[in-house]
Amino acid sequence: MDIKKILFELSCRDALGSVNDAAVYAGELLSRFTEIKKLGNMSVAAVFKGKNDYTLLFDAHIDQIGMIVTDVDDGGFLTVANSGGIDIRSLPARAVTVHGKEKIPAVFCATPPHLSSGETEYNDISKIKLDTGLGEKASEIVSVGDYVTFSAEPVELMGDTVTGRSFDDRAGAACLIELAGRLSGKELPCNVIILLSDAEELGMRGAVTAAFELSPDEAVAVDVSFGDGPGISDEECGKLGGGAMIGVSPVLDRALSDRLINIAEENGIKYQTEIMGGRTGTDADVIAVSRGGVKTCTVSIPLRNMHTEAEVLRLCDLESVCSLLEKYALSGGLAGV
Amino acid sequence: MFDMLRELTALDGVSGDEKAVSDYIISKIEGFCEYKTDPLGNIIAFKKGRNRSVKKLLVDAHTDEVGLIITAVTSDGFLKFSAVGGIDTSVLMFRRVRIGEINGVISGKPVHLLSGDEKKKLPKADSLYIDIGASSKEEALGLVRLGDRAVITGEYTEMGGKIKAKAIDDRAGCAILISLIRSESEYDFYASFTVQEEVGLRGAKAAAFTVAPDSAIALEATTAADIAGAADSQKVCCLGEGPAVSFMDRATVYDRAYYSAALDSGIKCQPKAAVAGGNNSGSLHLSRGGVRTLAISVPCRYIHSPSCVADREDIENAGRLAVYMINGICSGNIE
Repeated sequence: MDIKKILFELSCRDALGSVNDAAVYAGELLSRFTEIKKLGNMSVAAVFKGKNDYTLLFDAHIDQIGMIVTDVDDGGFLTVANSGGIDIRSLPARAVTVHGKEKIPAVFCATPPHLSSGETEYNDISKIKLDTGLGEKASEIVSVGDYVTFSAEPVELMGDTVTGRSFDDRAGAACLIELAGRLSGKELPCNVIILLSDAEELGMRGAVTAAFELSPDEAVAVDVSFGDGPGISDEECGKLGGGAMIGVSPVLDRALSDRLINIAEENGIKYQTEIMGGRTGTDADVIAVSRGGVKTCTVSIPLRNMHTEAEVLRLCDLESVCSLLEKYALSGGLAGV
Repeated sequence: MFDMLRELTALDGVSGDEKAVSDYIISKIEGFCEYKTDPLGNIIAFKKGRNRSVKKLLVDAHTDEVGLIITAVTSDGFLKFSAVGGIDTSVLMFRRVRIGEINGVISGKPVHLLSGDEKKKLPKADSLYIDIGASSKEEALGLVRLGDRAVITGEYTEMGGKIKAKAIDDRAGCAILISLIRSESEYDFYASFTVQEEVGLRGAKAAAFTVAPDSAIALEATTAADIAGAADSQKVCCLGEGPAVSFMDRATVYDRAYYSAALDSGIKCQPKAAVAGGNNSGSLHLSRGGVRTLAISVPCRYIHSPSCVADREDIENAGRLAVYMINGICSGNIE
C-alpha cells in the first residue's frame, strides 16, 4: 500500500470519541509489521525492539475534529457543540455525517436571505441547527452525545496534491504507518515506538497518558502545520512541497532539532524549519513534560485549510517526513550521535 | 423520475455552460415529442396529446444552476472567481469544486489564524480562491481557461423521505417536465428547457417569443424556510405540504384565476407565502403581448447551495398539479 492509499483509507474513516473506525484500521495496518499495544480510549502503539534500551517515540494523533449532539428537537433538527476548533462561518448548507444508531447524512441550516437582518454574526455554533430531514423520527436514531463528522471523501488535485477531511492528522498517521513498514525487519540500534494517540484536538490528552505509559527517552510529534495560500503571510506558514517542517521552539529540544536538520542535509531530504515562540500546539507540548521530562521535537506537514474538509497537502511532503524519520530511527536518535 | 433527478443533479450546468444538461434532456425526450434547439441553447419541444388544445400552453423548466466562473489566475496558481447567480459567501468557504474534470477546493485562512473579530464575520468573497493544486500560473492555465465554470459539488443523498443534492433548483423542474413529455398527454402542449435563468431569466425570454404562447407554467424550486427557529410567518413554504403556488414575487404578479384553480385542484399544494425571489415567469408573462402565467415550485431548503433539501412527495405532487393545470387550461375548463 503506498502512502497515498494509506492516507485516503485513513481519511475516509472517522475517529472521534466513541467513533474509532480510523484507529481500528490503523491498528490493523500496524499489526502487520510488529506487536501492537492498545492504550486508553483508542490510542495504539507499535513497538519495534532495538539493540539497546534507549527508546525513541514517534507520535501522530489519530483523532480528528468534529461535533457532538447536544439537543434533538421534534422537527428533526439537532443542536451541536464543536469538538476541536471549527470555522462556524463555513457550516451553513454543509453536508455532514451523524454517527447515531446508524450513520445518517444531515445538512447544517442556511438562513435564507429574507430571514437574515443585515450582516450575520457567526459567534455561536448552537445557533446553526443541523437538519436530519427525519422530522420527529430523528430521536429514534440520534441521541444527545452522538458524534458528527465532516463527510468529504479524499480526491486528487493536480500532480501530487490531494484534498480531503481529517488530514489533520491522518497525514502524520499515514507517515508513521509507512515508516513502520520501512523499519519492519530492519536491525534497529534502539527501541522505536510508533504511537497513534487519541484526543489531541481536545488538549493532547491521549498523548499525556500514553507518554507516561510508554516512558520514552526522546520523542518526535508528527502533525500538520499551516501551509501557504492567499492571505497568509510567509512568516506564519510553511510551503507546500517545501518538505518536512522541522520545529524549533523554546519548548523543544534544540539538539534534536539540529540533529534532524543535519540528517535532512546529509541525505538530501527536503526540509524547512518552523520557528515557534513557545508552545507548538501539538502533542510535543505534553510529551516533553511527561514524567521527568522527554527531549522532544516536532516534524510537521504543511497543510492548507486546516480543520476543514477541504484540507490540502502534497504527497511529496509526506515522503520527506517518512525519509527523515527513517534515517533518524536507523541512526539511533540522539543516543546514536 | 427520481432516477432522472439523481442523474440530472449530478450534471454540471452553470449558467451559459449547460450543454451536459440539455444533451441529457434530449436523450430522454427523443421519440416522445418534436423538438428543436434555439441559438441560445434552449430546447423547445411540442408534445402531441390525444386532443387539440384550446389554448397554446408553454410549460417551462430551466437547465442552469448557480456556480462560479474563473476570472483570473494568480502567479502562484490560485484561481480567482466570480459568482454566477446568487451564492452566499458562507456556502463558498472550504467547499469542493469541479471545473470540468478538474477537482479543486475553495481555500481560505484557517480558523487558527483568524483574529476574534474575523472569526465572527464572513470574509469578502473576493478574498477566496480556488486551489487546484497548481504551483504556478502556467501550470494552472494548462488545465483551466479563463471563463471556465466551476460547480460546488454536492452528492445526491436520501435523508428520510427527503432528497439532498445540488441543483435541485431547477433539475426538479426538468425531471418533472421530462416525465410529462415521456407520458401520454391528454392535450397538446409546448415545453421549453431554458438556459440562463440564474443570470436574469434570459433563455425564457427568447423561448417564449419563439413559441408565442397564450398561457405558461413555470416548473421551479423555491425557498422553503421551515427550519428550526423560523416563525410560521417566515417559512414561505414547508417541505411535505405540496408544491408552492405563487401569487406574486419580485418578478411577476401571477394570473389570479390560475393561482386559484391550482389551490382548488384537490392536489396537495400550498401558497408561496411571501413576495420574494423570482423565476422564469418574469420573462414568460411579459412575452410579446403578455402571457397568463402560473408558477408551480418544489419547496427547497438551502436553495442555491450544494446541499439543497426537498421532499419526494412534493416533487410528485408538483408533477400531478402540472398535469391538472395542463388539462384544465388546454381543455378550457380553467378559464
